[in-house]
Amino acid sequence: MDVLFSLAINGLATGMLIFLLAAGLTLIFGLMDVLNFAHGGLFIWGAYTGVWTYQMTGSFLGGIVTAIGVGLLLGLVTERFIVRPVYGSHVQQILITLGFMLVLQECIKVVFGPDQKIVSPPSYLEGSFIIGEIVFINYRLFIIAVGFLIYFAFYYLFKKTRVGLIVRAGVMNKEMIQSLGVNIKLVFLLVFMVGAALAALSGMLHAAYSGVIYAEMGLEFSILAFIVVVIGGMGNFKGSLLAAILVGLTQAFMAYYVPALSLATNMLLMAIVLVFRPQGLFALR
Amino acid sequence: MNLAQVEKSTWVYVAISFLLFVVPFIATGRSVQFLIIQIFVFGIFAMSYDLLLGYTGIISFGHVMFFGVGAYSTAVLFDRFDPTMLTFALAIIISGVIAGIVSLIVGVLTLRLKSHFYAMLTLALAGLFLVGAEKWRKLTGGSDGFTFGLPDILRDSFALYIVSALSLVLIFFGLRRMTKSPFGKVLVAIRENESRTESLGYQVLHYKVIVSVVSGIVASYSGVLYILSLRFVDTSVFATDLTIDVLLMTIIGGVGTLIGPIIGASLIEFAHHWLSDLSDVHWIFERWIILYGTIFILIVVFFPKGIVGTLVDRFYKWRARRT
Repeated sequence: MDVLFSLAINGLATGMLIFLLAAGLTLIFGLMDVLNFAHGGLFIWGAYTGVWTYQMTGSFLGGIVTAIGVGLLLGLVTERFIVRPVYGSHVQQILITLGFMLVLQECIKVVFGPDQKIVSPPSYLEGSFIIGEIVFINYRLFIIAVGFLIYFAFYYLFKKTRVGLIVRAGVMNKEMIQSLGVNIKLVFLLVFMVGAALAALSGMLHAAYSGVIYAEMGLEFSILAFIVVVIGGMGNFKGSLLAAILVGLTQAFMAYYVPALSLATNMLLMAIVLVFRPQGLFALR
Repeated sequence: MNLAQVEKSTWVYVAISFLLFVVPFIATGRSVQFLIIQIFVFGIFAMSYDLLLGYTGIISFGHVMFFGVGAYSTAVLFDRFDPTMLTFALAIIISGVIAGIVSLIVGVLTLRLKSHFYAMLTLALAGLFLVGAEKWRKLTGGSDGFTFGLPDILRDSFALYIVSALSLVLIFFGLRRMTKSPFGKVLVAIRENESRTESLGYQVLHYKVIVSVVSGIVASYSGVLYILSLRFVDTSVFATDLTIDVLLMTIIGGVGTLIGPIIGASLIEFAHHWLSDLSDVHWIFERWIILYGTIFILIVVFFPKGIVGTLVDRFYKWRARRT
């Protein structure tokens, strides 16, 4: 029982990190029909710059703020110079964002060196406590809390504010919202930047979670984010949360019970979903 | 066949093909010949990729699975049986059959999907092949890989050069014939406007499946040649990096042409070998991907037809202005 429980917590924490990564991607696709393969690049840039600040100043919070800032900035650059020239063509979007992904990943090696870096969570988030027979690791609980916090913050934003209304309407029909006088391009730029910042934040949190970061994570997490978005349904915010938790939990349980298959779990999950339900598990349409 | 009907460009290609067979007498060094063999191998691989990307407009992120299938079936056959030319022939046939079956199944299951879903699914399948190769240690030796013996003839780099040059030339002309046929025209029509092609009465899915099977078989053949030149196999033949390499080659060289991917393959292979050597001079040369990634982005935005396509366009414009 205690094994099941700690596996569940482990999976939930991983799922939350993946959700932060995938949330931006799914919004970007839903709103503007843009496929962004460079998302993992934003993730590692958040991780590296955040960790750099964290290790230089010793402030974990400072690292998080840096990661978010870098994410916003990179999101601006990516949207303006990489994505904007190729609106409307999926093939070109896939190609160009993949190219940008490679450049981002190699630039990491130039700026921070090609070797992997070791990271540990700050002292006040380290350690664990025991209730009954179950071990709770503080940092994992912290990640789960952050994930839910951000989910509900965005949920509130979408349901209750004017910006959220515009974004939701844009996902449904962007021509209509444009003809009502909303500058959809500006909205999209903002969504892109926020999505990038979430990816960067996820990178920073992941760095301290897994304890080690390396440049090749960029492509790996680009793919992972896409897997989650595909499973959850493209453009579906709630779907991406459920899919991320599903992926996180499956990963945790498979790694424990069927370690031989653990590497293939995500790919298998996505392949099954794509063959039998290509619109995504949680798609409404 | 009336010789006067043959296109001028065909003669140019025939002449270049003959030149290829002169090269090994001039460039006798083993390492140079090895480099050129690599270019041929990846030229074939990139051509097969361009059948999908350039001609039919399908993005596959898992093309490396066919390459790996070819590589592994050859290596395993040479490992289990006597290294004779018969085994080599067997390897070509068996790898072709396996790649054909795999691409048929993958194609029928997935080609109905939209472009981005297809890209993701092929990526996932290639990932499964990689994991499979790592886990099926009895057959593949896992990530350590294994070496194997070759027939005496193929040990000589000159002979291997001739084999790969001949393969490149034959496959080039074969695919050229195919893309210029009515079948090839339908592929281009699918790329340009899929729904219109369908409403004209073509079974788009059939064409897509056929082209992906052809492409898969050619890709597996390039895997066969690749592994012959290395005489060693490990799971890196299933790595996503190879798919990205071949994507760069095809885009930079020129999509929708057959010579473009070969030129792209030469550029990327030169970069691999020479720019990596230059890393002793300055470490930035080890990061040549940045340069190629940037070129790649610029080409996608400004010259979507790649080097060859752009040059051909310029040539036609220039000729139109003269007349």
